[in-house]
Amino acid sequence: MIRFENVSVTYDGETTPILRNIDLELFEGEMVLVVGRTGSGKTTFLQTINGLMPHFTGGTLSGRVTIDDRDTQTNPPRELADLVGVVAQDPARGFVADTVEEELAFGMECLGLAPEVMRRRVEETLDLLGLNDLRYRPLMTLSAGQQQRVAIGAVLTSHPKVLVLDEPTSALDPGAAEEILAALQRLVHDLGITVVMAEHRLERVVQYVDRVIVVPGNAAPLIVGTPQEVMRTAPIAPPVVELGRVAGWNPLPLSVRDARRVAGPLRTLLIDQIPPVRSNESTQDSEVLSEAQQLTIQYGQHTALKAVSLAIRSGEVVALMGRNGAGKSTLLNAMVGLRFASSGSITTHGKDPRTLKGVELLNSVGLVPQSPGDLLEATSVGDECKAADRDANVESGTTRALLDLLAPEIDHATHPRDLSEGQRLLLALVIVLAARPPLLLLDEPTRGLDYPTKIRLVDALRNLALAGHAIILATHDVELAAEVATRVIVLAEGEVVADGPTADVVVASPMFAPQIAKVMAPYPWLTVTDVVNTIGPLILRSHAPISGDALT
Amino acid sequence: MKAAFQIGNNASTRWLHPGAWWVWALGLATAASRTLNPLLLVLIIVVAALVVHARKPDAPWARSFIFFVKLGIAIIVIRVMVQVLFGAAIGETTLFNLPSVTLPEWMAGVRLGGPVTLESILMAFYDGLRLATIIICIGAANSLASPSRLLKSVPAALYEIGVSVVVALTFTPKLVADVSRVQAARHLRGRVTRGPRAIAGAAMPVLEGALEGSITLAAAMDSRGYGRRNDMGVKAQRTTSTLLAVGLIAACIGTYGLVAATSPMLLSAPMLIIGVGASLVAITRSAQSAVRTRYRPDPWWIPEWLVAIAGIFIAGTFIISMWISPLAMETQVDPAMWPALPLLPLIGLVIAATPVLTAPPIPRTYGESPHITPQPFEVAA
Amino acid sequence: MTPAVRIGKRSLFAILATTIVGIVAFGWPLIASPESDAVAHSTDAPWLFVIVVPLLLAVVLAQFTDGGMDAKAIAVLGVLAAVVSALRPLGGGTAGLEPIWVILVLGGRALGPGFGFSLGAVSLFSSALLTGGVGPWLPFQMLGAAWVGLGAGLLPKATGRTEIYLLAAYGAVAAFAYGLLLNLWFWPFTAGLPSAIAFVPGAPLAENFSAWLHFTVLTSLGYDIPRAILTVVLIFAAGPTILTALRRVSRKARFGAIPTFESVTP
Repeated sequence: MIRFENVSVTYDGETTPILRNIDLELFEGEMVLVVGRTGSGKTTFLQTINGLMPHFTGGTLSGRVTIDDRDTQTNPPRELADLVGVVAQDPARGFVADTVEEELAFGMECLGLAPEVMRRRVEETLDLLGLNDLRYRPLMTLSAGQQQRVAIGAVLTSHPKVLVLDEPTSALDPGAAEEILAALQRLVHDLGITVVMAEHRLERVVQYVDRVIVVPGNAAPLIVGTPQEVMRTAPIAPPVVELGRVAGWNPLPLSVRDARRVAGPLRTLLIDQIPPVRSNESTQDSEVLSEAQQLTIQYGQHTALKAVSLAIRSGEVVALMGRNGAGKSTLLNAMVGLRFASSGSITTHGKDPRTLKGVELLNSVGLVPQSPGDLLEATSVGDECKAADRDANVESGTTRALLDLLAPEIDHATHPRDLSEGQRLLLALVIVLAARPPLLLLDEPTRGLDYPTKIRLVDALRNLALAGHAIILATHDVELAAEVATRVIVLAEGEVVADGPTADVVVASPMFAPQIAKVMAPYPWLTVTDVVNTIGPLILRSHAPISGDALT
Repeated sequence: MKAAFQIGNNASTRWLHPGAWWVWALGLATAASRTLNPLLLVLIIVVAALVVHARKPDAPWARSFIFFVKLGIAIIVIRVMVQVLFGAAIGETTLFNLPSVTLPEWMAGVRLGGPVTLESILMAFYDGLRLATIIICIGAANSLASPSRLLKSVPAALYEIGVSVVVALTFTPKLVADVSRVQAARHLRGRVTRGPRAIAGAAMPVLEGALEGSITLAAAMDSRGYGRRNDMGVKAQRTTSTLLAVGLIAACIGTYGLVAATSPMLLSAPMLIIGVGASLVAITRSAQSAVRTRYRPDPWWIPEWLVAIAGIFIAGTFIISMWISPLAMETQVDPAMWPALPLLPLIGLVIAATPVLTAPPIPRTYGESPHITPQPFEVAA
Repeated sequence: MTPAVRIGKRSLFAILATTIVGIVAFGWPLIASPESDAVAHSTDAPWLFVIVVPLLLAVVLAQFTDGGMDAKAIAVLGVLAAVVSALRPLGGGTAGLEPIWVILVLGGRALGPGFGFSLGAVSLFSSALLTGGVGPWLPFQMLGAAWVGLGAGLLPKATGRTEIYLLAAYGAVAAFAYGLLLNLWFWPFTAGLPSAIAFVPGAPLAENFSAWLHFTVLTSLGYDIPRAILTVVLIFAAGPTILTALRRVSRKARFGAIPTFESVTP
């Protein structure tokens, strides 16, 4: 279906290629996962499939890329539109029309299909992706998951044989992500479409795919293989795979189901062990940094928060979880004075956050918003750091020094818009940290982050908590919560439905439990590190063959 | 919430083709331009208001009718003021005297003030009312015809430009939302969020974000087949070019003929119109090389015909009345006389009001261009 | 830098013809000979132009898009038109304080004359659609704004501070001239004015010209001067940054990127 013959790709103005000597064939009805860190050339790889690289981006492509025997050299992207459907990273940015139905038809209009055909395909696609209720809705009013489904539907109406997706689930909550993946599964199985997707959230997708392509970066050769083969040695892997690797399970489990089947002996072994507790006992009596009492926030008809009462103490790392639209962002915004209480009260640092302004605000609380780029106004990283020093009224050079700790590779002269998503987040984080706010809030910090950046973020958060900061993370990322959180608060429809130590809350929840907790249930183990630290890899390995035999 | 967006499958509710509303409104405006009879003019406004009231959707652009009515009132007021201040008095019935001032020589020695007569005020009022009525008719079209649907009906040759206008229309509310998000971010950095400096500070991130978004959008459009076209034969291309060149030259000659002294009749307005027509044919021909179809174009069925014909009909009755009884159409002001109420235009007015019944009721929901009322400081949903 | 919109021979011809017709459509009260048809039908002549000007604008824009405008140009055009539409209500009719001219001037400068022309026309059209402001004035506003954008794209080469001075000077002239033009268009519609400031069909050019000048001083200068000043102030204040942003996007978009394919001998 897709054939790369000795393909190398070089951007204009660059001397070395970003991808080199790729020889690869992808088959009909295959679901392929492309992984690699930001800047590795992963997106470029996807763009070569429909010829956006080099027709749209400029640059040089040597070798040959053919899709269903059509060469991208002679077929620019628009001529391949009936063959390759592309869904970019932020689907809302690629919408052309203003309502769902018209968006679904746009591609077909460009292809010049007959009106009856268009009508039929729109109806089919609405059904296939469960969009019928939304057909007349303006695209802007849709949730992120709905937008993602519309974006997929909009390319499916052209009946492509190949579907290329760049991070289709990274912005979604676990439920919405499951829906998208189920829809993709259906396309592969029922329609024989070849799906190529890039995704950082390996734990969500790796069990569904037929092959994995690792783009290592620096034009090193691609690593291609079945998920089992690739995951055995891959530097990054979902927790369940890591557990399998340290336990020496064979075949390597890719899903919770696979792992549960072989994890029996391990569970028995750990039955008497007590998992390390990320308790907040030590923080029981520490200073209260923010407190909400019967906090209710409404806009118009919509009640975003209903009678929420909670207190955040220094040293705590709180994961705020819940569906998109459950009120997580509203709560964070209320703590920094961007939203105000309709009834009840909220205090930050003992004051009404709405009265906090300027340096006083910066010294009490910092929020890194969902799109961290919003914080950045200057035209270079250096200027941005200087501005942050001035805003926070701290010694000049403070922000840059912090940045050097977290991301020393970011150059002074770079335009903040040219940074990768992860780098932008880290820059926004240090800008907020410049004033050393005791309370640090992060809204969806791991969206679009690759693993190495995520590890850096986790380390930074741990150190901040040790230094006595309180941190609240609004996040969908259950693995992140399992890694760092001491406490989890679950919101649903604006109400607190669960609030307690991480293990107590997540182990019981099918939606918010990390993979390890699901494998080890009913015992409250959350991360591979916990398991490994408790029994040590040696003991694990000695038990591994038993479980492996039990399986076969 | 969901139910609010459901469009009733009831076949009797649908959006009338926006073109029909424009034909109807322009017919009304043409009728208004043919008369100075205040009764007829007011009746035209009444008809426009009735139809707008009956068939106006609930969308932000649909509120523009009120704006146009206000504009109309302003036009009348200004026109009458101008008459009072500058106008040479006509007629005998002096209402009051204003102190008279003569502007200095460099201002052409205009004389201000002086006696104000009923006749001159009436004349100014009728004249202002006519222009106001034309404006209000156009306002009716603005309120009734959905811009996004109008864009769906642009001719093929303007499709690309139509797409960029659609992009502009959908991006504008996004930008407004972006501005409040960036303002919120400024608050987070402890900066001012009000006043010109805040606007200036927020402007750049919003602009840069929007421009970046445009490239993503372009890539998406390219990947989805936008801009596919077939090769036009060399011969066909040459014919089109020639037609375009001839048409444009004819338009220029026609324009020249309009303003030049004593040019033959044929070389002025008709030439201009023929020239423009030929150019339009040329661009339509070259648009045929694009492979493109329309998804569910707005149909032009009997209600559209009825609405459009109602507009043409009223224009016709006023034009004919102008020939057969010009006195009834132009109300005498010196001496002032009560305006007549001629029969034929009245019939025209009744017909012009029929869209209240003949135009299908609009669906009670929004299948409409998005509009959002951004929350102040929306950081995220 | 490659312009965002290529102006081919046919487009150039269409712009020229539209400009000629446009000059007459605005200026006929001053240039028409007393014996001409336009003067003889002076109440209908403006309405003829109301019909003809938008059709000719359509011809030019269709010509641009016929091969000269790819998806990138259309997308950037739409987004910048949205910026203008969002900025337009900010002025709110307060004494001509319209911040939109900065975008038109800088957009034309950074992305070329063809883009500037399209931006002027499309942005005024879409903002009129958004606010329900479609009326007989619209084609003339579109044409005026299109000229402003076109002119900005045709300015001579300059860099650094010189460029900003050049753009500010142009912006002032353009914003002011736009006001004068629109005023000229509106003039024949006014009635009841004393002959010293009124359009008198068939009067000698000198008389009409002086009448128009006085009319302008009395009516629209209060709008035109603040508009020109605001444009200059904004170009000095934000010009360099906006220009950098526009050029960044133009570079990133790679208008007219030439894809290179190499065959590899195994």
